[in-house]
Amino acid sequence: MADENDNDRIDDNQKPEKMFTLKKWNAVAMWSWDVECDTCAICRVQVMDACLRCQAESKKDSYGKQDCVVVWGECNHSFHYCCMSLWVKQNNRCPLCQQEWSIQRMGK
Amino acid sequence: MGDTTNRRPNFSNVPQNLINRNINVLSIKPTTAKKLVIKNLKSEPKLPEDYIEQTWKKLKSAVLAIQQSKPNQYSLEELYQAVENLCNHKMAPLLYQKLHNLTEQHVAHNIEQFLAESMDRYLFLKKMNETWLAHCNQMIMVRSIFLYLDRTYILQNHVSSIWDVGLELFGKYILLNALVQTRVVEGLLMLIEKERQGDQVDRSLLKSLLRMLTDLQIYRKAFEAKFLQATERLYAAEGQRLMQELEVPDYLTHVDKRIAEENERILHYLDPATKYQLIHTVEKQLLREHVSQILQKGLDQLLTEFRLNDLTLLYDLLSRVKNGLAQLCSSFNAYIKKRGRTIVIDPEKDKTMVQELLDFKDAMDNVVSTCFHKNERFSNSLKEAFEHFINQRTNKPAELIAKFVDSKLRAGNKEATEEELERLLDKIMVLFRFIHGKDVFEAFYKKDLAKRLLVGKSASVDAEKSMLSKLKQECGGGFTSKLEGMFKDMELKITVSILTMGYWPTYQPMEVTLPDQMVRLQDVFKDFYLSKHSGRKLQWQPTLGHCVLKASFRAGLKELVVSLFQTLVLLLFNDSNELAFDYIKEVTNIEDGELRRTLQSLACGKARVLVKIPKGRDIQDDDRFRFNADFTNKLFRIKINQIQMKETTEEQKATEERVFQDRQYQIDAAIVRIMKMRKTLSHNLLISELYNQLKFPVKPADLKKRIESLIDRDYMERDKDNPNQYNYVA
Repeated sequence: MADENDNDRIDDNQKPEKMFTLKKWNAVAMWSWDVECDTCAICRVQVMDACLRCQAESKKDSYGKQDCVVVWGECNHSFHYCCMSLWVKQNNRCPLCQQEWSIQRMGK
Repeated sequence: MGDTTNRRPNFSNVPQNLINRNINVLSIKPTTAKKLVIKNLKSEPKLPEDYIEQTWKKLKSAVLAIQQSKPNQYSLEELYQAVENLCNHKMAPLLYQKLHNLTEQHVAHNIEQFLAESMDRYLFLKKMNETWLAHCNQMIMVRSIFLYLDRTYILQNHVSSIWDVGLELFGKYILLNALVQTRVVEGLLMLIEKERQGDQVDRSLLKSLLRMLTDLQIYRKAFEAKFLQATERLYAAEGQRLMQELEVPDYLTHVDKRIAEENERILHYLDPATKYQLIHTVEKQLLREHVSQILQKGLDQLLTEFRLNDLTLLYDLLSRVKNGLAQLCSSFNAYIKKRGRTIVIDPEKDKTMVQELLDFKDAMDNVVSTCFHKNERFSNSLKEAFEHFINQRTNKPAELIAKFVDSKLRAGNKEATEEELERLLDKIMVLFRFIHGKDVFEAFYKKDLAKRLLVGKSASVDAEKSMLSKLKQECGGGFTSKLEGMFKDMELKITVSILTMGYWPTYQPMEVTLPDQMVRLQDVFKDFYLSKHSGRKLQWQPTLGHCVLKASFRAGLKELVVSLFQTLVLLLFNDSNELAFDYIKEVTNIEDGELRRTLQSLACGKARVLVKIPKGRDIQDDDRFRFNADFTNKLFRIKINQIQMKETTEEQKATEERVFQDRQYQIDAAIVRIMKMRKTLSHNLLISELYNQLKFPVKPADLKKRIESLIDRDYMERDKDNPNQYNYVA
């Protein structure tokens, strides 16, 4: 790091007209699922949180790593993947619009 | 000009006496004249009466001796003298006539031996040759004796020379005889045909006899036409037959051999004047008639098997015939298009497409340069064909070429040295040149470049820059300006903390205006991130960002550790020394209170890198700010804290709000849980169970409100008969 600074200093002496140069930027961003409705209609928990089932399991699992991702159907409705995979066993339709359920994409 | 004028006076400097001396030498001897008197002879010299007769007799016996190859009794000098004497005595016409007659008799007599009914052709030819050679030798001897006649009378009277007389007579009496002529010509043709079939023949005999025909001036009329006809017949049949029997490469070798043989024939015995027509006939029958068949049958194979020697031969042979190269060129073009299409069109071969294209291009370049003599027509056609087939499949080749470059420029690609990589990039540029959808290439190249830059996966900065300059050269600065911008951005390091919404406290989203460079960087990162994670969205949090700035003050360089807002403000001072509050607010779009605190931290805190005009602790609307060039600090790296006083109260409120919200959810959940278990419960019992479960202080009135809310939302209902009792609604 020290070397880098030295190099930079030399560069700047050659171009003194620029008073401030951005050298490093620690940016912060929040990610969230790109969903229209932020609650899962099946378990009634926010999609950003793990579904109820996964929350219960992750209490035992001390790593706290969540794999409870979101799934989008062709109808653009979104649910927890865990909730939806249980749901389709009983009824292969979207709980919100009753269209035939087919997965458009999975969250990653 | 200057020189000559300068030089002229120098002539006069030449010593006068030198010239004068020369004149003296010339005029040294006055000559004295001598007289020479020539007088007529007293009487005319007379020849003896029988001198002519005697002399002719002498000469005749000599000529006859020569004709019969017998020894001569007179010396050649004596005979020569005799001829001279006769000529000087105006006997030349007579002498000429006598010699003519003598020769004619002899030649006419010679015909007999060639008229026999049946005669072996070869023996016939041998005999003819002997006779001819003997005739020539005789005529040379005779001419030597009669040289004086040849040089005087014949030259002055424009009659045929002795030698010519010999030829004329030989022609007239021997070869103008139809039978003899036919026998000679047919014999010659037979010998040549034999040689063409691979037999050894007596070439000197052929040469001598053909020379005879030329000398007698009947080579063209009597021989050449028939010879060419025979040639044409032979090769027409041979061409037809061998095209069927032989593979193309073997056929070509054969043709080459034939042409060489015919050339040798000309060298050895045919008249050089026949060369053009002969070779032309061979080319026509063996090549021109079969060009399209040769190409159709053999070119693809030769190119696929990369048989350079055969291809060279093919080119050389076809360059001999009219339109041969044009046809070769168009077949070559068609082959490249056909073969190239198979490389490009099959999605299963996508993985190897680019490498195959490079190999194919190399091979075809090699063919053009080694076999086709770098013929420009062929290299242009090659380019045209590549351009044609590579665009047969839209977009994919462009994409794959971009990806191929990526794989080569990515770190971990240790297979090539710098120079090899450079050469490879040059070759790829050649392919790139053929592609019409350059924007597709750009899009993929850009995506991959972003990945290489952001993940630090680029193998070599030099290689990246070199590729960029190649692209620039090829497509101009407009094409690469964005890519170059990406490199410039990379001099600034970005690290991004990605927080999971929900784990972290919520922050007020705040829109601010970032400089272009930062926007670009942010976008590139965002594209990169979203390509890795599907279904997500990113929300930038400018309030949480912070930066390291290099700042040059008069006292030297410093590094400032500042918030993003402070950064945005300070960067504005690169363009202008003094700025008004309103201007800063408008340009950065930072929220008013936030901006005031930011400016306060920069101009009124411990490290004052800006100067506020007028001075004062609070920021007013009409304040102005100036870069503080005289800033000093003993530290190199200075952290300028953001002032946060006011925010804590806001944040506190927000936090309280959130706690309150969370508690409401927990109360709701507890009520539902209890009611779900008990189904019906009186108000007081519900309240007391709730107090047991809830771990935070809560007023009964609040609980009552939550119960009301749940009743509104149909989670439970009041008992119809007893208003103090609640029923759970499933």
